[in-house]
Amino acid sequence: MDEHKVLDYALVVMKNLNLIIILYMVILMSFCLCGYVQENSALAFLSRIDTVPLAPWKIPVLAVTLYGACLLLMYIRGLNGFALVVRVTAEMLLCFCVSYLLGFSYSGIMLLVLADTMRDIPKMKRQFPFAAAICLFYLVIDFDLLSIYYNMIPFDTYLEYFQRDSRSVLLGIRNIIASLNTLIFIIYMILSVRTQMSEKERIMSLNKQLNTANDELQRANVRLEEYARESVKMTETRERNRLAREIHDTLGHALTGIITGIEACTALMDVAPEATKIQLSAIAEVARQGVTDVRRSVKALRPDALEKFDLENAISRTINEICTATNAEIEYCCEARLDCFTEDEEDIIYRIIQESITNSIRHGKADYIQIFIEREHDMLKIRIKDNGIGCAKIQKGFGLHHMEERLNMLNGRLSYDGTDGFAVEAVIPIRWGNGGTGR
Amino acid sequence: MMSTARQKRNIAAGVLCGLLIVCGAAVWCDFHKMIPAGREREITIGVFSDSYWEVQNGYSYYILNDAIELFEKQNPDVKVSYVSGILKEDYSEWLSERLLMGDAPDVFFVLPEDFNDLAELGALRALSPFSEEDEEFSRDRFYASAYVYGQFDKEQYALPYECAPKLMFVNRSILDGEGIPMPGGDWSWDDFYEICERVTKDTDGNGVPDQFGVVDYTWQDAFDSNGVELFSQNGEECFLSGSNVRESVSFVDRLESLNSGYSITNREFDVGNVVFQPMSFSEYRAYKPYPLSVKKYSGFDWECIPMPAGPEGDNISSLDTLLIAMNKNTKNAEYAWEFMKLLTCNEQIQSEIFEYSEGVSVLKEVTNSERTLVKLREHVEDTDILNHVILSDAVENAASAPRFRNYDDAVSEVDRAVRDIVESNSNISTGLTIWNRTINRKLKNNGW
Repeated sequence: MDEHKVLDYALVVMKNLNLIIILYMVILMSFCLCGYVQENSALAFLSRIDTVPLAPWKIPVLAVTLYGACLLLMYIRGLNGFALVVRVTAEMLLCFCVSYLLGFSYSGIMLLVLADTMRDIPKMKRQFPFAAAICLFYLVIDFDLLSIYYNMIPFDTYLEYFQRDSRSVLLGIRNIIASLNTLIFIIYMILSVRTQMSEKERIMSLNKQLNTANDELQRANVRLEEYARESVKMTETRERNRLAREIHDTLGHALTGIITGIEACTALMDVAPEATKIQLSAIAEVARQGVTDVRRSVKALRPDALEKFDLENAISRTINEICTATNAEIEYCCEARLDCFTEDEEDIIYRIIQESITNSIRHGKADYIQIFIEREHDMLKIRIKDNGIGCAKIQKGFGLHHMEERLNMLNGRLSYDGTDGFAVEAVIPIRWGNGGTGR
Repeated sequence: MMSTARQKRNIAAGVLCGLLIVCGAAVWCDFHKMIPAGREREITIGVFSDSYWEVQNGYSYYILNDAIELFEKQNPDVKVSYVSGILKEDYSEWLSERLLMGDAPDVFFVLPEDFNDLAELGALRALSPFSEEDEEFSRDRFYASAYVYGQFDKEQYALPYECAPKLMFVNRSILDGEGIPMPGGDWSWDDFYEICERVTKDTDGNGVPDQFGVVDYTWQDAFDSNGVELFSQNGEECFLSGSNVRESVSFVDRLESLNSGYSITNREFDVGNVVFQPMSFSEYRAYKPYPLSVKKYSGFDWECIPMPAGPEGDNISSLDTLLIAMNKNTKNAEYAWEFMKLLTCNEQIQSEIFEYSEGVSVLKEVTNSERTLVKLREHVEDTDILNHVILSDAVENAASAPRFRNYDDAVSEVDRAVRDIVESNSNISTGLTIWNRTINRKLKNNGW
């Protein structure tokens, strides 16, 4: 049978036993009181006791009422915190009253309260203060101790109404029921402890399973990491191969054409200048075609940093890398949101910054570069300035040209100035949001 | 989270439990008695049918009925009732039974021998809250000795209703015959002993003494008049070793030895052979030449005077007092108090004691009034017999005994001790010391 069910049965048995013993005692007490009155020995009885007992009809009525109230309180389940404390306290007080009615000659009800409280509080740690309080109460409810503070009539004194033999039998019956109650309480507690222990064991075995699963998971993780590393390497190799192929297909092709064409031109130049001119324009066409191919290839190779990070992080990362690779100092200040641009725009912004820095360092020999990004109305303004040698007469190289070209595609502008160091300013119209908030 | 069904059941159980507790509290505290049947309130009185002073005078309920009539006139919405026909000898048992059954009267008379038990049991309501709040009530109107009779453990639990002091009855015929002058009100043990010694003789010459000094003079009388405080107030100690105790015991011993072993009975006094007999005032009144009473002592002239004073005491005697108390569980305490006050403090009701009972009113103003004196002398031919001042003094100065539960047992133990010492003719001091130890042990262990 289910262990919890057994515990519940034990509680029910205890409740009934207590009812029986309470009824037994109060009925006997009332009977004796009526007997004393019937036999005109009330005076003698009063002279033996310390207080006037309650009227005979009151004792059973009150005892049953208060015990019933106590049982009802036990029926209330699932309380927490303060409500639980109030409930247990009320139960203890009711038990005290019932014990008082019984002349403090029976306190087994406290065991019932203890068992019931343990049943309702599943956690061992929280059980402890309640159990301690109830046990203390149980120990204190004792006739000899309490008779100092309360005037009471012990059960035995009532029974003096009977002859000695009957008295012994009646007391014996009460003691048997009381002992039975104690016995069931002990069994209940043993069962309760056993249930809790098996619960604990179950939790422990579950814990063990969890640990094993955890270990396996860790091992899988390590394998996964190794796999990821391999995968990166493979991607790198593939990318290198692709680059090689691109270079071979585009640049290689164009350059080969150009070299061949130029060699032909060298041979032709003196003989047939006109033919040479035609040849040269053909070569130019090949070269242009080559540039177009390279541009297409480059376009296909989206910046690595941008692939992994968002624009802002990609920029910071690039700056950091450059700072560490060269001994240039870069001041970066961004006062606009960069997270709402399309992929093209992001590409362009990133390229502008990357190209400018590269130019500054390679051509300008600069060691201090300032980068400002700010929003001006619906325009994003990027200013890159260095302290390099500058350049009085600017020859647009591939990079600048490329930048300009790209900006044109976005309806942007590019301006530059090489008089004091080198300064590049790119203005890009912002297309996102209807004038979204700038920072 | 608790399910709503569970919550509903919890609330239902809680409400039901609360109801049960309220019902229980109502039953426990007798709230059902507070709902008056109709508009009338009723207070019940516990009383016995015959006189406290053991006299069948036929006037048993006169005073009570008058009091009830007066009370119901003053409080038209209250009805006072009592159960009639309970004899005094059954009264203690009857009261105990009513207390056990929880239907004891609101106000009841308390016999002195029951008072300690009832007070200790907590069956009596403490009266100080009422007396302190009631401006009409003044304890100074009572004889102090009678008033403290209702005290237990420093608390007033009962009011005195009527009392009777012990007086010394003197056979004047013998004294006149012997040529001895009547002793005064402040006479001493020496005077007492001297008279007893002189009158104890064999008058008819048959070799057996037939005229005696005193009958019924007990060690208690001697203790009272020699300032002996026998027990501590809480009843945990007995003081038998004092010099006044020794004197008293030795005095009783000496008086006894005058009779040379001949034991005297009350009858000897009745037929006129004994000079002195201590007697309660109520006995005097019961036996005085009164239409309904026996003319018991008509064969000789007699008079009553205070008890003789011992060397360390005064002309003091004990006082017998009938008390009236309130049930601790009464629900009509205010009316009960009013009724008790009417019985004990109303001059008209108290003066009826001299008319229909044999005791003395506990109110000084009533006992001292001229009207009372006239009433007392109504049927007495010789107006000198009763001195009005003697009576009042005897009540006023009466000895008061401590109040504790086993007082009667303790007294009978002392009685055994004194009898043992007197009879064994041993050294009184040693005997008293030994007995004192024994009694103290019993007092401390409550070993009765």
